[in-house]
Amino acid sequence: MELDLKINEFEGPLDLLLHLIKESKMNIFDIKIEQITDQYLKYIESQEKMNLEIDSEYLVLASELIEIKSKLLLPNEKVEDEEEEDPREELINRLLEYEAYKEITKTLKEKEELRQEIYTKAPSNIQEYIENNTEIKSDITLDDLVDAFQKFLERKKESKPLSTKVTEKEITVSSRRHDIRNILKKKKKISFFELFPVISREYIVATFLAVLEMAKNKELIITQNDTFDDITCEVTK
Amino acid sequence: MNKLAILEGLLFVVGEEGLTFDQIKDVLEINEDESKNLVKELKSRYEEDDRGLRIDFLGNRFKITTKFEHKEYYQKLIENPTTNFLSQAALETLAIIAYNEPVTRIQVDKLRGVASSQMIRKLVAKGFIKEVGRSDMPGRPILYETTSEFLDYFGLPNIEALPDMSNFIKEAEKEDKEETDLYTSKYKENEVSS
Repeated sequence: MELDLKINEFEGPLDLLLHLIKESKMNIFDIKIEQITDQYLKYIESQEKMNLEIDSEYLVLASELIEIKSKLLLPNEKVEDEEEEDPREELINRLLEYEAYKEITKTLKEKEELRQEIYTKAPSNIQEYIENNTEIKSDITLDDLVDAFQKFLERKKESKPLSTKVTEKEITVSSRRHDIRNILKKKKKISFFELFPVISREYIVATFLAVLEMAKNKELIITQNDTFDDITCEVTK
Repeated sequence: MNKLAILEGLLFVVGEEGLTFDQIKDVLEINEDESKNLVKELKSRYEEDDRGLRIDFLGNRFKITTKFEHKEYYQKLIENPTTNFLSQAALETLAIIAYNEPVTRIQVDKLRGVASSQMIRKLVAKGFIKEVGRSDMPGRPILYETTSEFLDYFGLPNIEALPDMSNFIKEAEKEDKEETDLYTSKYKENEVSS
């Protein structure tokens, strides 16, 4: 037998074995294991000599073939047994099944070719048919819209982040002094505590310093009639 | 409005994606019988000689296609007709999956006698097969199934249209068969008497 075929011409070890069986005109149901194993191994060897890499699957089948061969050579102790199992059976079934799929691919190939003779078209772009779903019901009044808007504003309030970073506004003693001067111009007399509408450390410190400075400069007079009484700030006359 | 005309337009719009029978029923808001008749009617009108298109049923979907009788004229339009066919390995793998679906990679490997993971990945990428869940076998391997694209690619209306597998399996000589029949019948007899 000529061994001029390359291993990658086969789809796998089963394909190769089928080829060898056909080549030697063997009946697939009565494989001459000894003969076919020799051919199979010779083939593998020839590929190795050509420095072709052989997939492990080919070697797996080679070992299976050798196993079957040895089983056939060994005397069967249970000759009496009615249902003597043929060690080739499993392999034959596998070959038959594989051969069936191989045959089916021929039909598939024909169908593939036939299908390529007809054409379809790409789907049309139907984006423009997508309806804009804003429907306006006729019983909506202007009030509903206003309500909706107010609800929206409320939602917006709620959606404010819980912690925000605000750029610090610098509060200086002189600016507070200016403020206090203005207040006193209008009111003439004011409770000390009223001078601290904002409770922040910078504000309190700046205001307190401003009051002290103004008192020192005699711009205002600080009075407290009794202990724990309200402290009042008055313009100097 | 004429439903036949609407169906015709629908089939044009969807093109190669096609319409399933249920889609036709839903979109046109008609019952099963009416849609069946509608499709049949449109199909028969297209079969006239003076029409260039045809309603085909491919991969479980109705599609408007050209007629293969006119293929030579379409092929004239193409400057370099590049016929791209699947490899033997791809065909084998697809055949094994189609006849055994849903199937795991290991099962395919076993039937082919070679490792198939790369081929399976390729076929998934081409849209011919898809993952459909996991098997209960140890390791819960992925199960694969062929897609509507697979059927369309081979011009098959549905999976049942695949050729009968039994026609492709070689049968042993008659002698062998009778022998096994004898064995099985004998076995049955024994079973009854015991």
